[in-house]
Amino acid sequence: MSQDLAQNRYKADLRDIRFLVFEQFKLQDVLGKGPYEAWGVEEFNMVMGEAHRFAVEVLGPLNAIGDRQGCRLENGQVFAPAGFKETWGKIYEGGWKTLGVKTEWDGQQAPLTLAVVVEEFMSGANTAFMMYPGLAHGAAEVIETFGTHAQKERYLRKMYHGTWGGTMCLTEPQAGSDVGAARTVAKKRPDGLYDIKGTKLFISGGDHDFAENIVHLVLARVEGAPAGTKGLSLFTVPKRRIDMATGASGELNDVTVAGIEHKMGINGSSTCLLNFGENDGCVGELVGDAENHGMPQMFKMMNGARIGVGLQGLAVASTAYLNALEYAKERRQGPSIRFWKDATAPRVAIAEHADVRRMLLDMKSRVEGIRALIIKLARHQDGYLVAKGNDEAAATYHLGQVDLLVPLVKAYGSDQSFRICETAIQTYGGVGYTKDYPVEQYCRDSKIFSIYEGTNHIQAMDLVGRKLGQNGGANLQSFLGDVQKFISENDAHPVLGPWVKELAVAHEAIGGTAMRLLGWFQMGQMSMVPLAANRFLEMMSETAIGWLLLEGARIAIDTQAKLPEGDAGAKDRAYYEGKKAAAKYFALNVLPAVKLKAEILAREDTSPVDLPLESFVSE
Amino acid sequence: MKILVPFKRVADPENANKVKVPVGANGLGPKIETTGMEFKPNPFDEYAVEAALRLTENGTAPKARLGEVTVVTVGGPEADQTLRGALATGADKAVRVEATDEQLDGAIIARALAKVVAQVGPDLVLLGKQTVDTDSAQTGPMLAELLGWPQVTFAVQITNEGNGSLLVTRNGDGGVQKVRVKLPAVVTVEDRVSYSGGVTSPPTPATHKYADGVRFAPLPAIMQAKKKPLEVKKLADLGVDTALSVKYLGFEPPPARKAGVKVKTVAELVDKLKNEAKAI
Ligand SMILES: Cc1cc2nc3c(=O)[nH]c(=O)nc-3n(C[C@H](O)[C@H](O)[C@H](O)COP(=O)(O)OP(=O)(O)OC[C@H]3O[C@@H](n4cnc5c(N)ncnc54)[C@H](O)[C@@H]3O)c2cc1C
Repeated sequence: MSQDLAQNRYKADLRDIRFLVFEQFKLQDVLGKGPYEAWGVEEFNMVMGEAHRFAVEVLGPLNAIGDRQGCRLENGQVFAPAGFKETWGKIYEGGWKTLGVKTEWDGQQAPLTLAVVVEEFMSGANTAFMMYPGLAHGAAEVIETFGTHAQKERYLRKMYHGTWGGTMCLTEPQAGSDVGAARTVAKKRPDGLYDIKGTKLFISGGDHDFAENIVHLVLARVEGAPAGTKGLSLFTVPKRRIDMATGASGELNDVTVAGIEHKMGINGSSTCLLNFGENDGCVGELVGDAENHGMPQMFKMMNGARIGVGLQGLAVASTAYLNALEYAKERRQGPSIRFWKDATAPRVAIAEHADVRRMLLDMKSRVEGIRALIIKLARHQDGYLVAKGNDEAAATYHLGQVDLLVPLVKAYGSDQSFRICETAIQTYGGVGYTKDYPVEQYCRDSKIFSIYEGTNHIQAMDLVGRKLGQNGGANLQSFLGDVQKFISENDAHPVLGPWVKELAVAHEAIGGTAMRLLGWFQMGQMSMVPLAANRFLEMMSETAIGWLLLEGARIAIDTQAKLPEGDAGAKDRAYYEGKKAAAKYFALNVLPAVKLKAEILAREDTSPVDLPLESFVSE
Repeated sequence: MKILVPFKRVADPENANKVKVPVGANGLGPKIETTGMEFKPNPFDEYAVEAALRLTENGTAPKARLGEVTVVTVGGPEADQTLRGALATGADKAVRVEATDEQLDGAIIARALAKVVAQVGPDLVLLGKQTVDTDSAQTGPMLAELLGWPQVTFAVQITNEGNGSLLVTRNGDGGVQKVRVKLPAVVTVEDRVSYSGGVTSPPTPATHKYADGVRFAPLPAIMQAKKKPLEVKKLADLGVDTALSVKYLGFEPPPARKAGVKVKTVAELVDKLKNEAKAI
């Protein structure tokens, strides 16, 4: 099938995106305002159309090639799969990676909502490729937020516009989730720079052949600094030394690629073992002007990176679902169950079989629900930036919701992504398991999302340990209040009412479980907290998604009533039917489990920690 | 070089099954129902814009504009988005001649375009060979006739010879034809002009490899498209004869295709081909 490798398999649902952006979350209310002054609906649509075309025509055809070829390490230099280098050029030439960058740095300062939409197309079309510009962008954002004026001038234009790449170097062999265990050291030199020495593991985009330089953002400990996360500082460590006066890249900076990982997925993205200062010749520059601020600096940037990972999950899950749907409409197998005894009955498309339909609607409702959650989050961020400086109450509210929703988007989006991809394979049957179809790659690619950028348990602990109590609990209260308001306005609706009642039950269940968690914290009953955290994150995500899907269904019902009769409105009518069905399915098949999970947690079962390790297997 | 590219917003042919004709007297409908249809730029016009851009730039990095491309459409305000799209891909200016479909036929459009040509003063008018909605392929030839300019239709390759003439390869009935044409001229294009070697034009070196197809609109250009000039003129103000020479009496959809039949034997097939389809 190699002749087909260079074929685009990416599929997107532009109609659903337009619905969420304009009909449900009303981005038009902030377009043309504040930082988004230059943006109108027309620009939004043009950019969305062109980005989709870029994803399908440029990125999509390289997805399977990148997977099969993987990366090569030769004489200390990493080579990415064929076509990646040219694509790096094209994506920056087209301005696609500077969409959300401030005009000050020659970007387009677009709303996050648009950046998220564009990223869904691009990450879905080629997850592995998009890691490279994604990390370069993230690293540049750190420098923009915390760097000195001179550092911004030195790095930002080049990193935002693709002249230089960038990475985030936190992980070390002994320091994964436990970032504070990092041992990389930095020693101050007379010229104010630092000698860097240490090993970083699993560094995405740690080396490639696209750009004249790569700026690594390295977490390291200045000699004599305290142990743990408090003693970490952040450094820019370039692959090639940078002339401080001219900003030009020069000789190599003693950053060596000691190896690249051979992985389950995202094979086109290089994952590098980097040695800094093997020959005592590696220098770095402190980000900002104070030592020991590395962790808070990284933390501040994590929101963006975590949203990005949830978005990767959505992107891959969505194209997996849409591919499975297309296949299910074509593949014929077996008769309709109405004629199950008749051997001569006509064979039907597998999409006609109830169980396949169930899988399709399950994927649809989850994909559209997660997309709604992500766009809701992005819309809060846009609302925050527009309100900031003129309506502080609104700004605080929006920012609080962003903080609260980030772990849900990261963890639920990534967990579900893998599961949706698995369901997509199941929908195909045997061919889904082969490399002739794209879903097996999607499934392999998607598994990493629940691991990097903080494993999903780390996300769950962030939710229950930090986010629930943030702002004195106000963020959670506002969230629960928003859901409650929708429930009160719709629980008597003739169509939605019964589904909204399921939401009301789930809403009550998460409120109760949040209280229970608080109780455990107060009573010092800490062993239950990590056992409950992942499940609570799931409960809260499902309640949020149920709410947003039902809100969408309400809009669908109201708008459907205004559609023209007959064929003119047929396509919209079909879309809105789908919107209603996705909400109904989620409300009747997923939401009821939220209460059940609350009941399970109420039993306070601690058997996983009670069982001694020797009893897990005794031989 | 100054180039004018007439550009049309058309109903997306992918929606052909949605085309509805309301039934009127004697079975004919008064018009084609367009609500609910999706519209897009006529693809052949997009190829013409791509060719025009290649003829007015140095295509090697850093790209430099060396001429001027004006896109023009005759239609309502809904066509502005199509023009903005062309401006975003690189066209310099846009003109829209305000008119509704009912006021127009091919001849009026050609007359309006001739006036715009007189105002803009291009060296070359590049058009798509046809629009994908009505497929009549007449606007270009009619315009050439009105202007008294030489014309080359169905161009698949254009070489700018630099001395006021173009060497154009066109798809003819019996094969390809090479035609040298002196500017000013009218040229209508096929999709192949947008392929990698579709246009050769100094100072872009002949060895430069363009990507196949129509270029992407870079993001900054999309944002700047709003700032590029888009002038709206009234059909009446152009001083053209607006008398319709084509009168639409009514519309009817093509007859639905009949379901096929399965034949059992070759003999039956031959019989049907002979006596029913009268194909042999
Ligand atoms: C393909 C790939 C790309 C990556 N890219 C980057 C990158 O660009 N930059 C970078 O810095 N890192 C990167 N990483 C590293 C990644 O962020 C880590 O793998 C991740 O943070 C988990 O750390 P670990 O692998 O050491 O696992 P561990 O931390 O050893 O975790 C193993 C298991 O234990 C659990 N666990 C760990 N600690 C606790 C605790 N305190 N309480 C409860 N459970 C716990 C985890 O949830 C997990 O289930 C990448 C990894 C991969 C595989």
